[in-house]
Amino acid sequence: MQKAIKKLPASVQKRTAPMAALVVALLGAGAFLQAKIDPVARKIHQSEQSIDQVSGGLNNEFMLLPLLGFREAAAGLLWVRCDEFFHSGDYDAILPLVRVITLLDPHAENVFVTGAWHLSYNFTDSNERSDRRYIAPSQALLDEGIRNNPAIPDIKFEKGWQNFDKTKNYTEAESALKDCISGPFHNEKGVKGSDDFPFACPLKTLHLLAHTYEKQGRIPEALEEWRKARERTESVMKEDEKNNKPLNYSNKQMWFAEVHNYDEDLQRYHNRYTTVKHDSINPSNPPQPGVLWPTGPGVANQPWDVVFTPTIEVKRPKVLRISGRFNSADGARVDVRITDWNYPERPLVDIKNSFKVDMSQTILVDSMAVRKGAFDRELDMSKDPKMYSFSQPEYKIVLSYNPRTTSPHLTDRFGWSGEGITDGNKGHVYLDAREPLLGTALIAGQGATGPIWDGVTIPWAEHTQPVRMIAVTYRVSRAQMMGEKPITDADMVPTKL
Amino acid sequence: MVPLAIARQTVREALRRRVMWIFLICGVFLIALGPVFGFLSPKDSQTVLRSLGLAAILLAGLFITIVTCIYLIPVEIERRTIYTILSKPVQRFEFVLGKFLGGFAVVFINIAAMGVVFLMMIRFQEGKVPVDMFKGVYLTFFQMLLLAALTIFFSTFATPVLNFFMSFGIFIVGNLGSVTDSLTTSRNGTARLAGTIIHYLLPNFSNFNIQNTLIHPAQEITNPDVFIRQNILYALIYSAVLLILAVIIFDRREV
Repeated sequence: MQKAIKKLPASVQKRTAPMAALVVALLGAGAFLQAKIDPVARKIHQSEQSIDQVSGGLNNEFMLLPLLGFREAAAGLLWVRCDEFFHSGDYDAILPLVRVITLLDPHAENVFVTGAWHLSYNFTDSNERSDRRYIAPSQALLDEGIRNNPAIPDIKFEKGWQNFDKTKNYTEAESALKDCISGPFHNEKGVKGSDDFPFACPLKTLHLLAHTYEKQGRIPEALEEWRKARERTESVMKEDEKNNKPLNYSNKQMWFAEVHNYDEDLQRYHNRYTTVKHDSINPSNPPQPGVLWPTGPGVANQPWDVVFTPTIEVKRPKVLRISGRFNSADGARVDVRITDWNYPERPLVDIKNSFKVDMSQTILVDSMAVRKGAFDRELDMSKDPKMYSFSQPEYKIVLSYNPRTTSPHLTDRFGWSGEGITDGNKGHVYLDAREPLLGTALIAGQGATGPIWDGVTIPWAEHTQPVRMIAVTYRVSRAQMMGEKPITDADMVPTKL
Repeated sequence: MVPLAIARQTVREALRRRVMWIFLICGVFLIALGPVFGFLSPKDSQTVLRSLGLAAILLAGLFITIVTCIYLIPVEIERRTIYTILSKPVQRFEFVLGKFLGGFAVVFINIAAMGVVFLMMIRFQEGKVPVDMFKGVYLTFFQMLLLAALTIFFSTFATPVLNFFMSFGIFIVGNLGSVTDSLTTSRNGTARLAGTIIHYLLPNFSNFNIQNTLIHPAQEITNPDVFIRQNILYALIYSAVLLILAVIIFDRREV
């Protein structure tokens, strides 16, 4: 049977070819337009991870949203869940969420900052000591956040703060803070419309950088930073005055702090290092630098001998009692650091999928207060096997006193770089002369090799003063940590930080 | 003016559909939930309100668009009312265009309603309405316009159920723009060809996803106005392509 052939109306037949041609032309125009859109779209989505990489950490209820293009909404809702977990104390549950959120929304700067803070500060043992294994992923998260958000100062500031406060790594802190101040255009100018515009960063960044220089014994640079901060505050106050704005007392207070800190640094430099008579602090005659101790008429002043005599007793497996003498004023702290012998100082971590840390690693960082020239502390690591697994054959115990991390009343005595400290046992004096740690030479000798700052030339950026620390290092076996053998002075090895 | 008359009738019918109202109410409810997140830090609550609001408009708009447009033509055929229409001096292309304009108007009404609620919430929480939020709303509208054209195109030859899955599927594929874009430079020849076809021939819905730059003000688009105009033009061109194809198919369809 012959199949009926459908005949289209003439008008339809007539318009089909032009319409088809129009479709082809429009598709060409669309493709052309798409090629124009692509470069900008690539830039917008450049730091976003593809859905297949993110999907592993998402529940089904959250998976639909990114698939439909709602990455930020999914990220926002997950952040709400994080908040709930935080307030219910379920800290472990937060980590995978922070990872997924930052993959979904690489511009969620608050999540980078809060997530890194959470990693660095909130995982602790039963004595509130931080789990230092999380420092490396925390830093890696901040680095990722900075790469994704070069114009956001908050993440750079957080990196500076954590290195200043948590790890006392002032070299890293300085680098992060300088990057923060420099801003996205490297001219200290911020993005228009940003919180700190016309500046690239909040004022606190300059303050923290000045304190970082102080901690590094680089006083001329600290003074310069306080001066810059004061100038910035003055410019803001002048601008407010010009615009008839009421006096901002916060700015005024900042100004007072900047003037005070500038003066205080100069005063401390004067008291600690210059050769003047300092009445009760340094009653020497002739006058000598305040960080050196007068030993008698006609004899040059000397650094103070702290007579560091530590002993370590293993009370029970993983329980150490560390005690001894440290002849200094109250308030000094002897740092203790127990790690696997080969513990990498800054382990490389891959945080692409998670913030998991190597649970076989052991690290404890704590400090012991000195009272009446002595310290005594029991460190119980037996209650936290997940943090202190002691699964390696050998361990390093470093007991040290670092003048750069100590409080100001002790720095008055020992100097910013420990110029005024020594130990009768020369093996206990450790000069950390790694290049990034060198400070300004503020006093003759004491390990420095370069010229002395004259107290006038500002800035003085020649760094030649190593840190003079008091430190001892023990190399001990697992059996010793478990109390099967004692830890003695025979286990001491030369310190190498 | 035949298409406008058909469009008016289409809007009336669509507004009688309860399912559309349900999606609209859900969308408005989600947007209104925004200030609930005030317990977060101000920056976080602002981010959540903005992202959730834009997502709610998009999600509700997506379902409203699909659910409204998949039925526009099949219902006329099923109820045989199309005979009455086409027996009058109404060309088939006028019918398709009228249906599209009607669907377009419904989508506009819904997104405008949700947009107003969203902007009110932003005003309520932030004390002002940033211009960027308007951009977010109207880019969503043009994204839905493109989706409406796609759904109407499918409705000229597919059943509503099939149409739903096809439209939804292409919307998802179209949202994977960064994936298809990376495929266009793949070393694998087949993947490169597939990526190029999908990226340049299928409607690319991810072009309109600029929520991240709207939510995080520090993120900037180079020449944002040019980029937005290009996207609007893209939506109009692809909608025109889909409508012409719909007319070509519908001209040949026996009803």
